[in-house]
Amino acid sequence: MTPVHFSFSSAFMLGLMGLTFHRTHLLSALLCLEGMMLSLFIALSLWSLQLESTTYATAPMLLLAFSACEAGAGLALLVATTRTHGTDHLQNLNLLQC
Amino acid sequence: MNPYVLAILLSSLGIGTTLTFASSHWLLAWMGLEISTLAIIPLMAQQHHPRAVEATTKYFLTQATAAAMILFASTTNAWTTGEWNIQEMSNPTALVLITMALALKIGLAPVHYWLPEVLQGLDLTTGLILSTWQKLAPFALIYQISPMMNPTLVIMLGLASTIIGGWGGLNQTQLRKILAYSSIAHLGWMMIVMQYSPNLAILNLILYITMTTATFLTFKNVASTKLSTLTLTWSKTPMMTTMAMMTLLSLGGLPPLTGFMPKWLILQELTKQDLPLTASIMALAALLSLFFYLRMCYAMTLTIAPNTNNNTSTWRQKSSQTTMTLSITTTLALALLPITPAIMALTT
Repeated sequence: MTPVHFSFSSAFMLGLMGLTFHRTHLLSALLCLEGMMLSLFIALSLWSLQLESTTYATAPMLLLAFSACEAGAGLALLVATTRTHGTDHLQNLNLLQC
Repeated sequence: MNPYVLAILLSSLGIGTTLTFASSHWLLAWMGLEISTLAIIPLMAQQHHPRAVEATTKYFLTQATAAAMILFASTTNAWTTGEWNIQEMSNPTALVLITMALALKIGLAPVHYWLPEVLQGLDLTTGLILSTWQKLAPFALIYQISPMMNPTLVIMLGLASTIIGGWGGLNQTQLRKILAYSSIAHLGWMMIVMQYSPNLAILNLILYITMTTATFLTFKNVASTKLSTLTLTWSKTPMMTTMAMMTLLSLGGLPPLTGFMPKWLILQELTKQDLPLTASIMALAALLSLFFYLRMCYAMTLTIAPNTNNNTSTWRQKSSQTTMTLSITTTLALALLPITPAIMALTT
């Protein structure tokens, strides 16, 4: 495992741990998702730099575009949740449990 | 919803799944999954009531996490082996990660908790899309990586899904939650046979989609989402109630109906692979599922609900809903067992 591989893996895992274990606010969950996507962006760009392959140079941009769309959908849902539930606390999303 | 927006969303839903089907590169497969997730979100949240928004939020968080994990695992695989092809993954850690991420995407047992809640918050049409069309893309990826997956993990996912799918549905009275647990149990049957005979898993998926479409469309036609409203369907449409009872028994896997075919073939395959214990556990777990299907049948056809209405309502206007899909899928869900040899010849 190279140092680069280790660092992006640990960045991703930190984001995933934050998403799964620290679930107070929806906004912090969305930030964790964004952090995961950015670590993947770093991984993909360094991969294409290391291989010096121009075919993969567009891959990080595509990833960034998709993660921006995802973040936009997430923020729209944040607004919708705040309007319907009053807060962005994930603990309040309990209407469907039984 | 505006018809133009609806057309764009539905075609993106189709394009996303098709892109995942057609790709051999992990990045494109991931893009297809993301497109279909992003396309269904507005469809889920179009009624602005709190339950729909909550279900959408939960669905978004799980699907986004699963998609990020898939991309992370394939990037790890690319960093260690330099290979982006779906069918040539070889890093064991990446394979375990990707199996769990795909299990999260389709709702297999240890990571299934989102599925009943999300399905409960949606209307029946979107629920139908969620439990049929949205399963196809992740399932195609599972099919492609199935020869390399960790056998113990696959067996554990399959067994846990069938048992928990049967067990969880026992205590439910909401039809959509029961159907969600039924989906988990059926996916468990598909996972267990995935590495021994992938074509059987595909056959099971096709038949499950047929039967569950028939069930969802029946419930949509009589507009019922609870067991208690299901008891009134006989007065509205007696014939469809009878058919729905048999469709439910077909989902449960009783012999003269279609649903028996995949269970029979899978049990035979497991026995041939010298796994009698696994086959017995699967057969016994199917009984748990059968219990809640039987309870739905009982409430629907064998009891008369304690209310003032005690004969069929002749004055009721004819329903204006289209029933073509419903009649075709019901016929397929009831009567395919006799042509099992032909279907086997087509799929294997």
